[in-house]
Amino acid sequence: MRPEDRERIQVEVVSRVVEQHVAASGNASEGYLETLVNDTIYNERRRLEKASSERARAEAPFYDEILRRMQHASERDLRKLTEKLARRFVGEVVGNFDKRVYSAATGAIPAGLWALLNAMSPSRLFSLEGFKRGLADHLELWGEVDHLKSVAEKGTLVFVPTHSSNLDSILLGYAIYLMGLPPVTYGAGINLFTNPLISFFMANLGAYKVDRKKTSTLYKEVLKEYATCSMEMGYNNLFFPGGTRSRSGKVERKLKKGLLGCAIRAYINNLREKAPRPNLYIVPMTINYLLVLEAETLIDDHLKEVGKSRYIITDDEFSRPREIYNFMNNLISMDSRIVLTCSAPMDVFGNRVDREGRSVDGRGRIVDPSRYVTRESEPVFDDQRDYQYTREVSDEIAGAYLADNVIHSTHITGHALFRLLKSSNPGVTLYRLLRTGGEHPSFTMTQVHQEVDRLLRAFEEMEPRPRLGPVVQEGDVQEIVNDALRAFSVYHTRRAAVRRGDRMFHEDRNLLLFYSNRLEGYELERHLNGGGM
Amino acid sequence: MERKVGVIGAGSWGTTLAKILGENGNETIVWAFEPEVVEEINGAHTNERYVPEAKLVENVRATTDLQEVCEQCPLILMVVPSHVFRGVAAQMGDHLHGEQCIVHCTKGIERGTFKRMSQVLREETCVRKIGVLCGPNLSRELAAQNPAGTVVASKFAEVSGRALEALHNQYFRVYSGSDVVGAEVGGAFKNIIAVAAGIVDGLGMGDNTKALLLTRGLSEMTRYGVLQGAEILTFGGMAGIGDLMATCASPLSRNHQVGERLARGETREEIQQSMFMVAEGVKTARPVHNDAEENGMDLPIVTAVYRLLYEGASVEQALTELMGREAGPEFDAVKRLWESGGGGMGRS
Repeated sequence: MRPEDRERIQVEVVSRVVEQHVAASGNASEGYLETLVNDTIYNERRRLEKASSERARAEAPFYDEILRRMQHASERDLRKLTEKLARRFVGEVVGNFDKRVYSAATGAIPAGLWALLNAMSPSRLFSLEGFKRGLADHLELWGEVDHLKSVAEKGTLVFVPTHSSNLDSILLGYAIYLMGLPPVTYGAGINLFTNPLISFFMANLGAYKVDRKKTSTLYKEVLKEYATCSMEMGYNNLFFPGGTRSRSGKVERKLKKGLLGCAIRAYINNLREKAPRPNLYIVPMTINYLLVLEAETLIDDHLKEVGKSRYIITDDEFSRPREIYNFMNNLISMDSRIVLTCSAPMDVFGNRVDREGRSVDGRGRIVDPSRYVTRESEPVFDDQRDYQYTREVSDEIAGAYLADNVIHSTHITGHALFRLLKSSNPGVTLYRLLRTGGEHPSFTMTQVHQEVDRLLRAFEEMEPRPRLGPVVQEGDVQEIVNDALRAFSVYHTRRAAVRRGDRMFHEDRNLLLFYSNRLEGYELERHLNGGGM
Repeated sequence: MERKVGVIGAGSWGTTLAKILGENGNETIVWAFEPEVVEEINGAHTNERYVPEAKLVENVRATTDLQEVCEQCPLILMVVPSHVFRGVAAQMGDHLHGEQCIVHCTKGIERGTFKRMSQVLREETCVRKIGVLCGPNLSRELAAQNPAGTVVASKFAEVSGRALEALHNQYFRVYSGSDVVGAEVGGAFKNIIAVAAGIVDGLGMGDNTKALLLTRGLSEMTRYGVLQGAEILTFGGMAGIGDLMATCASPLSRNHQVGERLARGETREEIQQSMFMVAEGVKTARPVHNDAEENGMDLPIVTAVYRLLYEGASVEQALTELMGREAGPEFDAVKRLWESGGGGMGRS
């Protein structure tokens, strides 16, 4: 973000958030602002109780001071305190990158990663030879790239990719750079900033800080308003509507509405302000890895936490530079491809847009999107209405994910093997199956090949056809399975499956489930005639 | 706010709704396909062919110009039969914009695609503020101003709000809801059960049989609906049990008449040739049956009606098959849905 905008956005966010609450307090019963400030402090203090003593020592005095000033505070004082809190939050969100921390931490970095990180701007970062060799050859960009480029000139872009790894933002940053588009603004979990290296990386890609341990309403409002304002200022945004990395390995279907709603708010604000380029365009993307860096941690967390609230993982593969380095090296040595897809851009209501950036309805007619939010020709907010629009656009995004998700050999092989596991152990629960492996530790290669073949044929029947990755596309069943086996053997500490002689053994079934899950959501059962599960 | 309301379709239900709208003080424009209907509404303020006993008030006028209605009305009620719905919607789509609200009052599912009318509207137009009106509403009774109720369901509160404001009055209670899928499935599905009810009456079987049919019919409706994303509660309301009771009790309904004639041994072809208006139950039985079959859903009453209409089964055969089934715990199927998380948050 440009330095002058950094100042402006902070002032704007604070004033909007405070104004909203002051307006709300006018209609509410007495004590509205008092409750708001109280709640915020309560949440913050609770967070600090669980935080390190160092952090608590650093942060607690601020909140103690506010609490002290709340005694006998007038409405005016309360307004000031609300402002003070909001200002602190937005300051944290914008963040400050400390170069000294960064230089101190650069001693213990593997050479390759050093090359990866040693740059000050995205353009320099990505033009580095080492990095390019590592990434450019292994990244493919599919889909509506030209369409997107042409629309980028007409309005502000909001990228909404699937999320499977913390590497996603780096790859997306690179892909966006390759497309010749300016860097994006996006919120990254504050835990990613604790590692000074990654922190540096993130900051260079336009990241702002999101602390998911901060649970107060005020903080969340600041975050949303920050995103909204940056969109209005014309900064292309990126966020992951799935919320966090997909723990299960499934393609996201339930999406978070909060940040998506910001795009509609920004659009309405643009209309009200008569902005010269009011339009925002939502761009779904999918990121498809043959192997996912953090697969082991993610699926373990998923299985542990199914049906419970999830905790935030702070110590996983991504926080260990050597792990990233190994992962990259393996990808490179395997000559595997990471495929990113760009779906067709749409307006904030989920309508497709043409190359001129005009909204188009289901029958190809040009429509005026501003009419969706106008009442008697004035653009107005309507929370209930806008929430519904957000739901509709999120359905469209989920649809685009499925249509553009790319199936790799690991997914189809994992799925085939898991199907064999299930069908040969009828009545055994998933958890038991995962733990014990059931009756048969292995299947013949022929069985696996046949199962993969059935899946391939099911894909052919589907309308629209799912996208297939480079090896899967060729349709050679043996090649597909070999490719997956090779992948399973190179990086993860545990192997998902391994071939011995004429048989394929399932070894780490959790991992197998993780890769298998990528094919959930296609309603495969409808297309697999007879047999199977 | 502008009180102009459009009504697309001047059949018995469309005319009745226009009558109510007019009486409530809305400036009402009715689109009719037939020029002679337009002429009659504008001249004599009647629509003898469809609602013989109704007199329309002055502020209801008619036109054959679809564009005029689409461009002038912030709220439009769409009241055309399901088999022409898509075609009319596509024509309307050329003139609509995103600010408008459309409430459809058509009880049926599209043949071939299994789509609900709100889905068809969404595909054929740019309009998002879509709702459905559904309830126990026999035109003739409403035309006579006998007390009745209905529900307008929409994901957009503005839609149900506007419809309620335009339609609610001393004899017509309009409730609001948000379960569009439930209201649409209820409205379409009950037509199939109504055909079966006509058969029961035609055979002179009595109230026990009728109650058995309605109760199990409601169970099938609920199971089918929940799997489409409806909420269970909806089926206990106006669009569920309410509509089902009225349609199945009244010999006035076309579906009921089809059932009675089937009971007399007539075939579908014979009945259709001599009927001047389409019975939705006849059209809906096929897509619902096929959809259920494709999804492995067991809907015995629907299957029976389908076999009578389309496979030439005899009434005796169908009845023997139905009554020959095992009866187990009454709520098993519905409970399973409830426990599997269905019927809570509907997917739309």
